[in-house]
Amino acid sequence: MTEMPNSAEPVYVAIAFYVLAAVAVLGGLFMVSSRDMVRSALSLVLTLGSIAGLYVLLSADFLAVVQVLVYVGAIMILMLFAIMLTPGQVELPVSTQVIQKGIAGLVAVLMGVISLFVVTSTPWSLRPNPLDQETSARLGELMLTDFVLPFEIASLVLTAGLIGALVIARED
Amino acid sequence: MGQATIGLQHFLALSTVLFCIGMYGALSRRNAVGVLLSIELMLNGVNVMMVAFNKYIGTAQSGAFDLTGQLFAIFIMAVAAAEAAVGLAIIIAVYRLRRTVAVDRLDLMRG
Repeated sequence: MTEMPNSAEPVYVAIAFYVLAAVAVLGGLFMVSSRDMVRSALSLVLTLGSIAGLYVLLSADFLAVVQVLVYVGAIMILMLFAIMLTPGQVELPVSTQVIQKGIAGLVAVLMGVISLFVVTSTPWSLRPNPLDQETSARLGELMLTDFVLPFEIASLVLTAGLIGALVIARED
Repeated sequence: MGQATIGLQHFLALSTVLFCIGMYGALSRRNAVGVLLSIELMLNGVNVMMVAFNKYIGTAQSGAFDLTGQLFAIFIMAVAAAEAAVGLAIIIAVYRLRRTVAVDRLDLMRG
């Protein structure tokens, strides 16, 4: 019988959330500010791993494992291969970088402030008891009944994307 | 916010922060692979939001086991994988031709 997060002590849930959230945010900040591409990619791996932990807190058990398998295990490996195949690209600053980073930071902060205001002031229609069951069986059932069309189209998108990527990146 | 129990708004605030950090990276990085990494962070921020909505939002009659948010997140992951593959293939092809992936040097189409 698996223990789901709603039955845990709120203090432990809070500690877990704050630790995982801090790791995710710090990893993200290090990723966008690092000049070395490999360090950037590895700190994104750290962020994605802590997001997988957050999915466990959100009772998304299947999604947490899929996050580690797909995002960390496949997509980040792909990024690391691309970093390996485009060598010597240490980000040296150019004169326009200061202005660009300033404007980018301003836009990001503005968007963040507005979004945070909207998020904390909207009266969300919360469920009386948050969802807290095992999800794997139900996800499989939904994917083959209500969501069969997006499921099939997603496999078409992946096939087309991979064939396209092979053709584009091919040596000829 | 500020209570001991972690609720929807905590996860939404985290999702917003991750999205904005990713947006800053996508707008300010010079390396094209760095831009793609930042886009992946933005997509993950949105995924956290989807799963948080799935857990906390609903009506009293939502006894039926509704997993739309988690399914959305799975499909976002699939599309992100395809997009990362194609984007990185393009970057590799461009590197082969121009020996650089700095986005400010790739301006052949500029007027």
